Amino acid sequence: MPTVDNATAKTLNELGVNDAQGVAEIFAEVRARFDRQVALDTDGIRNLMLQQAWLGSDRDPVTSLRNFWLGRKAGVLTLITENWLKRSPPSLKGVIGKQFNELKSHIETKLAEQRKRIEEKTEAAALTREQVDLSLPGVIHPIGSHHLIRQVFQEIEDIFFSIGFSVVEGPEIETPYYNFEALNIPEFHPVRDDMDTFYIDLPEGAPTPLLLRTHTSPMQIRTMEKQKPPVRVIVPGKVYRRDNPDATHSFMFHQVEGLAVDTDITFCDFTGTIEYFVKQFFGAGVKTRFRPSYFPFTEPSVEFDVSCIFCGGSGAAAGGGVCSKCKGAGWIELFGAGMVDPAVYGFVNYDAKKVSGFAFGMGIDRLAMLRYGIDDIQVFFQNDVRFLKQFP
Amino acid sequence: MKVVYNWLKDFVDLTAPPQELASRLALSGTNVGSVENGPHGAVIDAEVGSNRPDCLGHYGIAREVAAIYKLALKHVSLKPAESAAKAGDAIKVEIQSPELCGRFTARVIRNVKIQPSPKWLKDRLEASGVASISNVVDISNYVMLELGHALHTFDYDKVRDHKIVVRKAKPSEKIRTLDGVERQLDSGMCMICDGDGSRTVGIGGIMGGAETEISFSTKNVLIECAWFDPIAIRRATRFLKLHTEASTRFGRGADPEMAELASRRCAELILQLAGGELLAGVVDVYPGKRVPKKIRVTRAEILRVMGADVPDKQIEASLTALGFAPVRIDHNRGAEGSLLATWECTQPSWRAEVEREIDLIEEIARIYGLEKFPPRLPAARQGASRLPHHEAETRLRERLIGLGYREIVTIPHVAEERDALFRPAGVLPARLSNPLSEEAGVLKSTGIVTMAAALEWNLNHGQRNARLFEIGRHYRLEGNQSLETRVLTLGATGEAREKGLYDSAREFSFADLKGDLDAIGQLVGSGHDARGFDWHDGGTDWLHAAKRGKMSIAKTELGVAGQLARRVADRLKLRQDVFFAELELDALYAAIKAAKTSRRYEPLPRFPAVERDFSLLLADGITFAQIVESIRSLNIPEITSIETVDLFRGKNVPAGKVSLLIRVTFQSREATLMDAQINHFVGKVISILEHRHGAQLRAS
Ligand SMILES: [Zn+2]
Repeated sequence: MPTVDNATAKTLNELGVNDAQGVAEIFAEVRARFDRQVALDTDGIRNLMLQQAWLGSDRDPVTSLRNFWLGRKAGVLTLITENWLKRSPPSLKGVIGKQFNELKSHIETKLAEQRKRIEEKTEAAALTREQVDLSLPGVIHPIGSHHLIRQVFQEIEDIFFSIGFSVVEGPEIETPYYNFEALNIPEFHPVRDDMDTFYIDLPEGAPTPLLLRTHTSPMQIRTMEKQKPPVRVIVPGKVYRRDNPDATHSFMFHQVEGLAVDTDITFCDFTGTIEYFVKQFFGAGVKTRFRPSYFPFTEPSVEFDVSCIFCGGSGAAAGGGVCSKCKGAGWIELFGAGMVDPAVYGFVNYDAKKVSGFAFGMGIDRLAMLRYGIDDIQVFFQNDVRFLKQFP
Repeated sequence: MKVVYNWLKDFVDLTAPPQELASRLALSGTNVGSVENGPHGAVIDAEVGSNRPDCLGHYGIAREVAAIYKLALKHVSLKPAESAAKAGDAIKVEIQSPELCGRFTARVIRNVKIQPSPKWLKDRLEASGVASISNVVDISNYVMLELGHALHTFDYDKVRDHKIVVRKAKPSEKIRTLDGVERQLDSGMCMICDGDGSRTVGIGGIMGGAETEISFSTKNVLIECAWFDPIAIRRATRFLKLHTEASTRFGRGADPEMAELASRRCAELILQLAGGELLAGVVDVYPGKRVPKKIRVTRAEILRVMGADVPDKQIEASLTALGFAPVRIDHNRGAEGSLLATWECTQPSWRAEVEREIDLIEEIARIYGLEKFPPRLPAARQGASRLPHHEAETRLRERLIGLGYREIVTIPHVAEERDALFRPAGVLPARLSNPLSEEAGVLKSTGIVTMAAALEWNLNHGQRNARLFEIGRHYRLEGNQSLETRVLTLGATGEAREKGLYDSAREFSFADLKGDLDAIGQLVGSGHDARGFDWHDGGTDWLHAAKRGKMSIAKTELGVAGQLARRVADRLKLRQDVFFAELELDALYAAIKAAKTSRRYEPLPRFPAVERDFSLLLADGITFAQIVESIRSLNIPEITSIETVDLFRGKNVPAGKVSLLIRVTFQSREATLMDAQINHFVGKVISILEHRHGAQLRAS
C-alpha cells in the first residue's frame, strides 16, 4: 500500500481504491496522519516540515503545517480535490465528497485548536518574562499639598457655605474699637485680662492705637457696618494672643468666626446650625451639649461641647483608667458662642428690637488637633516636610 | 473658686451627690473644672465667670443650687451679743472719695484672744486652699469664702486717733503692704488712711498695710467691710500688677448690701472663737446706696430670642430663687401661658450686671435648661458667596500643588534682624510695642523671612529637598496706618528630581523656578500664544545678582524671583542653594480673573504644521527674546511658535559664542503649506537673524 505522502499525487484508481469502503479506509489513513502531525510539539512540526521541505519563508512551523494541509496551490486537501475527487468515477464522487468535507472540517478545527493552544502558551511565557514587580515604586512625580490648617478651613467653609453662609475676610491689625469696644468690651473690662493683646509700635502722636486682633469677632462689626440684615457670614483667619508658647498654646492661631442676623433668628436656629456643622465635621454619631457661659458680645452665651471622640463619651480609656483627652468627663469643650448681645447692635445701627442673631468663634488649630490626634500645636507652624507629607 | 460640698449644706438641704451636683452646675452656667474627694469631703473646682462675683462665695453657689434643685435657701440672719458701749464712740469713719468707696462699715471688738483656729475652721480653709494663720485672720478669710465679700481686720490700737479716712492716693505716695512690699501708688486709687488722713493703712479693696496688721499681741480688733468701685479696682490692680482675693471680688463688682452682713458674721465668729466684747452697733457710711432697678421681661421677647416657650411656673420659680422677685403686671394676670405675659423684676443687690430684659431671659433659659430648646436648621434667604478671589486662588493652588509645592503656614512674628535682611529700602515695618521676645519683635515685612525660616528648619532636620509655598500676608506701616498685603511666597531647595529607579537626580535650579512661575503665568495668558508673565532683569539685592528677575503683567509689577545671594545664605547658615519668589496676589488674582473673562476658543488648525530647526551660533549676550522679537518682526502669520530646543556652550563652540537650536513651526489656517512657501519663510528668518544678530547658521 502506498503512503499518503505521494498517494495524493495519484488518482484513487491508480491507488487501487474502487469502492466506498476503500475510500473510507484511505481517508481514515489521511486523517490519522494529520492527527499524528498536529499532535507534535513546535519543534517536532519544524523537523517534519524541514523533512518535507515545506517550511515556509515565515519560518513559523505552525503556519507551514497549515499550508501543508490547507494551502491553496499544493496543500494536501487541494491535491485530494484535484487527484481524487475530480478524477474519480461518478459512482464514487458522492462518497469521496462526503469524506472530503468531514476531513476538511476536522483539519480546520484541529488547526484552530492548535493555534489557540500555542498562542496561549506563548502569551503565558511572555507574561512571565514581562511581569511587573508591584512592590517596586512607579515613576514618582513630585506633588504638593495643602497645609492641614487650610484643609480644615476649607472643610468648614464648605459646610457653612452649603447652608448659606458667605465667606469674608478682614484685617489682622485692628483698632481697639473693633476688637473690643464695639463688641461690648470697654476698657478695664475683666474679659480683657483673658485676651492678652499685642500692640503695634506706632509713631508718637498716632491718633488710634493698633493691635493684633485677639479674635475674628471684629469682622462681626465690620460686616454689619457694611450690610443690612439678613447677614450670614463666616470669617476664617489668623488671631493673636500674647500667651507663652507650649504644646497647646501658640501666640498666633486660627479661628473661624460665624455670624447670622435676621428678623427671625432664635436660639433654636443657633443650636440647630451648630449641631448641623459639628455632625458634618465629626460624624453623625457625635453628641452635643450647650453650657451657659459668658461673653460680653453674646447673650445668652454658651460653651459648646461634643462627646469625647477618643473614648466615645464614656470617659474611660480603652486600656482601663480615665480617658486622658477629656479627663474622664466624656465631653470636650469645642468653642464659645451665643446670641448676639443687643448692645452690639447699638454699635452698628441695627434695631435690637427687630433683629436677632447668633455668633460663634471656633479655634481651627484645636479642631485639627482633636480630629487628627496632634498633641503639639507647634508642629503646624514648624512646617517640617515630614509633617506636611502626612496630610496629602 | 473651690466649692466645699459640705459647706453648701449650711445653706441648702442638698441631697444630690457631688458628681451630679457638679454636672448640674456646669449645665446651668457655673463651669466646673474638676471634682475631687479630699480628706474634708468633695471639693468642686468652679470656674466662676467674670460676670458672676456673687458666685465667689459658698452662699452665692448655694443660691444657684437652690434654684437648680428648687430647694429653699436658708437666710443668714445673725444677732451677735453686743456690749453697752457703742461702736460709734470708738471709731470714726470719713469717706472723702465716695466715687471710689461707696460704703464703709466698721465694727470694734475689744479684748479678743488671738490664737490658732479650731480644727473645723482650719479644715474648711484647707479644703478651700487657704493657709491658716490665726483665728481672727482666718475668720476674715472664712467669711469671704462663705459670703463672697472681702473684709479687712485692723489692730484697733494701731489705728491713729481711732479714725479712718478714705481718700484718693496722692501723687508719688507709697505704702508698705501686708506682704512686706513697698508699693508706688497711682492717683486714681482708693486709700484707707488713719488719724488726720496723712498715713495710709491700706489700699482699699486690694490689700491692707503692714503697720496696722493683726498680730498675736493684738487685743482690740477693728473690722472693715466696705464696697469699692470695680473699675477703679481693676485699674489699680493693673497698675500695681497685684491681684488678691479681695481685688478679684471688688474688681468684678461686689454686693454693697452684703458689706454690713459680712461684718456681722465676722463679729459673731470672732466672739465665738476669740472671745471679747462687741461694741454696740455699726459705723456705716454708705454714700453709694442704690435704689434697686426694676426690669421687665415678656413672654413675647422670650419667644423672639429663644424660639421656644418656657412655662410660667418655671419662669417665676427660677427668677424668685435667684432673687429677682418677679411680679406679673400685664392685663392678663392669672392667665397661664399668656402671650402677653409681662413680669416686673427687681434687681437684687448682688446681681448688678443684670440690667436688661435679655439678661433676665438668659437667667430663665439657663435654669430651665438649654437642652429644652429644640435645635432646628434655619432656611437660607439668600445665595452665599465665596471670597472675591476664591476662584483665582483655587486655580493658583491647583497649579502649585501640581508643580509639587507644599503649603506652609507661619507665624508672622520674626526677629527685627531677620526682617531687615529682606526688607525693601524705605519700608516701615510693623514692630510690636510689647513682644514676647526679641525673636518675635516685628511682623514680617515680606513673606521671604518666614519662608527662609521654614527651609532652614527642614535643612536642620535632615530634609534637604523642599518645595514650599505660602499664601499669606506681609505687614507694613504707612505712617500711622497698617498695610496688609496678600502675597504668594515660594521657596525651593535641594533636588528638583530625586534619584529613583528610572531617573537620575537633578538639583533645583533657576530654570526650575522660572518654569514653575511660567506655569503659573499661563493662568494669566489667553490664546495659544499666551506669554504669561513678562520677565525683566533686576530684583532685590538679597538675590543672586546673576540669577534673579522681576515679573510683571501689563506693566504691573508682580514680584521677584531668584536664587538667594551667597552672602545672605552664609549669614543664615544655609549650606545649599536656595531659591525664592514672591508675588503680590491682588494683582495676580485680578489678572487671572481678567484672563478668564477674555479667554475665547480658537478653532483647531485643519492643515498640518511644519517644523524647521535653526542651529544658530550667536555672540554671548544675545537673548532668546531678541531672536524671537526679530522673527516676529517679519510678520509672517504662518509662524505659530518659536521655541528653543537646545542651548550649548563649550566644546566645538568658539569662546564668547553660544550655540542655540531654535524650532520654528509654520502652519496656515487656509491651506497646506508648500515646500516653496516654507523655504521662502526660512530664507527670510535666516536673513534677518544674520543681519540683526550676526547669527551664523550651523548644520543641524
Ligand atoms: Zn474621652
